Amino acid sequence: MKASRAFAVTKRVLRDLKNDRRQLALIFIAPLLVISIFGVAFTGNVKDVHVVVVNGDTAVGNSSLSDKIISNFDTSVLNVAYANSESEAVGQVQNGSASAVIVFPANFTQSVAARASGQTSVAKENVTITLLADKSNPNVSDPIIATVNTAVAQTIQGLGRQAPVSVDSSNAIYGANAQFIDFFAPGILCIAVWQLTTLLTLISFVGERTSGTLFRLLASPLKESELVAGYAVAFGIIGTAQSAVLLTASVILFHVTIVGDVLLAFGVIALLAVVSEGLGILLSSFARREAQAIQFLPIVVLPAFLLSGVFWPIQAIPTWLRPVSYLIPVTYAVEAVRSVILRGWGIDKIYPDVIALLIFASVFLSLATLLLRRRE
Amino acid sequence: MKDDVCIRNLEKDFGGFKAINNLSLRVKHGEIYGLLGPNGAGKTTAIKILCGLLRPSSGEAYVLGTKVPDPGMASSVGYMPQELALYRNLTVHENLAFYGEVFGLSKKEIETREQALLKLVDLEASKDVLIDELSGGMQHRISLACTLLHEPQLLFLDEPTVGVDPDLRATFWRYFEGLRDAGITMLITTHYMDEARHCDRIGFMRDGRIIAEGSPQELLELTHTDSLEDAFLAYSRTEGLQ
Ligand SMILES: Nc1ncnc2c1ncn2[C@@H]1O[C@H](COP(=O)(O)OP(=O)(O)OP(=O)(O)O)[C@@H](O)[C@H]1O
Ligand SMILES: [Mg+2]
Repeated sequence: MKASRAFAVTKRVLRDLKNDRRQLALIFIAPLLVISIFGVAFTGNVKDVHVVVVNGDTAVGNSSLSDKIISNFDTSVLNVAYANSESEAVGQVQNGSASAVIVFPANFTQSVAARASGQTSVAKENVTITLLADKSNPNVSDPIIATVNTAVAQTIQGLGRQAPVSVDSSNAIYGANAQFIDFFAPGILCIAVWQLTTLLTLISFVGERTSGTLFRLLASPLKESELVAGYAVAFGIIGTAQSAVLLTASVILFHVTIVGDVLLAFGVIALLAVVSEGLGILLSSFARREAQAIQFLPIVVLPAFLLSGVFWPIQAIPTWLRPVSYLIPVTYAVEAVRSVILRGWGIDKIYPDVIALLIFASVFLSLATLLLRRRE
Repeated sequence: MKDDVCIRNLEKDFGGFKAINNLSLRVKHGEIYGLLGPNGAGKTTAIKILCGLLRPSSGEAYVLGTKVPDPGMASSVGYMPQELALYRNLTVHENLAFYGEVFGLSKKEIETREQALLKLVDLEASKDVLIDELSGGMQHRISLACTLLHEPQLLFLDEPTVGVDPDLRATFWRYFEGLRDAGITMLITTHYMDEARHCDRIGFMRDGRIIAEGSPQELLELTHTDSLEDAFLAYSRTEGLQ
């Protein structure tokens, strides 16, 4: 393998792009449009969510801790109604008239007081407020959880002591301050790079086949591996540039939070671009014309869009479908990039995802090289 | 002298269809060999086998003494595919530079050869024009320039003059003859029977094999015709009778 020949290919691909405004627009404008649409659609704060409170607390008036918590709910977010039984409340969520049920256990105030005063006769565990949210839409259930948590914290602070109260909402996925766009912006970066890199390699490579340039190259000293590597470097660069533009736009337009090392995130995205490039070359062997190549697009895009954890976490995907998620390279990239950007994780924590991507890359690139080497 | 190209009992099967059917031919060092024949005769297929792009189904082919396919001889061979084989979004110069780099030429070498070749194909002024913005014939001329850039000693030219205007075609053939005189071997396919007279030897190809072979003069004499077109038709007819 000779680097100068591979580099010649890289230069060629980049020049091709530079001279083609349409492709440039596809790479940079289209994902910007997508992220703007999602951003505008999802950044609006959730307002006026109907929740049903089932208050088993027997304390009334000023001494009632549950009422204090409820009065601390942010009323612009939560629209509170009451029900007498949990089943009645759950029924309201099921028929769609409410989004969550908040249950205060019987003797809530007393239990908290007992634990706070350190009585030994009571159990040590916290008193639990149960939150049954309609988890089908994290856009809604998330702010509910955040609001309830905030109210509980405020109330307890008001008491001036460490009170043993916890909210059981087994759906607390993001930090209380994270907005939904923070959650999906890293996913959009990955999806954009995945989709466009696969598409562009697929089309360029079908082009190499139909225009005859591939014949010229295969009859030249250029090795198949150099061709694949040259493309890989080019698309690694393009993918990084693309995600840099996208990320900058998301920060400027939607104030997406970046906690971690942006360069590490770009590294992961470049790796994803290489994986996508390998896939694009692989798929190109099965298409004779550009039009046939386009038909592969839904197969490449849809599963990744739905199953790689861009809009909802992998944990929200049915167990029987999850293995499919783990067969999609984007899943690992989304996980890693999100962890870096949102949680500030370093390579020491995301390395399993990086290794998975490296495996995908080596498998796809080797297969692509082998397929190119094959002679009819 | 050793033959630069030697094909023996070559067959190429495309899923039951024999595109090359017991083809044997030799191209001597320093000659222009013209492969003539109707559409689908198997000319392109034969050249692709010689360039290592297709695998023979049976029989064998040697290029510069090496049995194909063998990637080792690529730098000594120039291949002009029947397709345009240029990057349409790249300028003339960017195409030439790319192929030059692939063949390991230095920047300096590319520059000097590019200048000479653009002069040959009469497109010096179009150096920075996108391929897409050139006329069909001009594109073809650039394709030839790309093939010649690394100064190969053996050329496989698949219809190098198609779509090129008569004036320039004459120039091309003068150039090919010049290359031959400098010791370069050429296997050229063409549909223009009139220009085939520039070849040292001609092979008439039909249904995947050679039906007649010889110098243009010999073929004319043997068929008692005065154009290669008629000569080919004469052979084609006798083939049909058999
Ligand atoms: N990849 C392929 N698969 C199946 N058949 C093929 C393939 N390539 C060529 N053929 C067939 O082989 C035959 C010879 O094709 P080839 O391209 O060699 O002809 P040719 O002499 O170059 O014709 P032309 O003058 O039109 O260029 C044709 O009948 C063609 O249909
Ligand atoms: Mg042909």
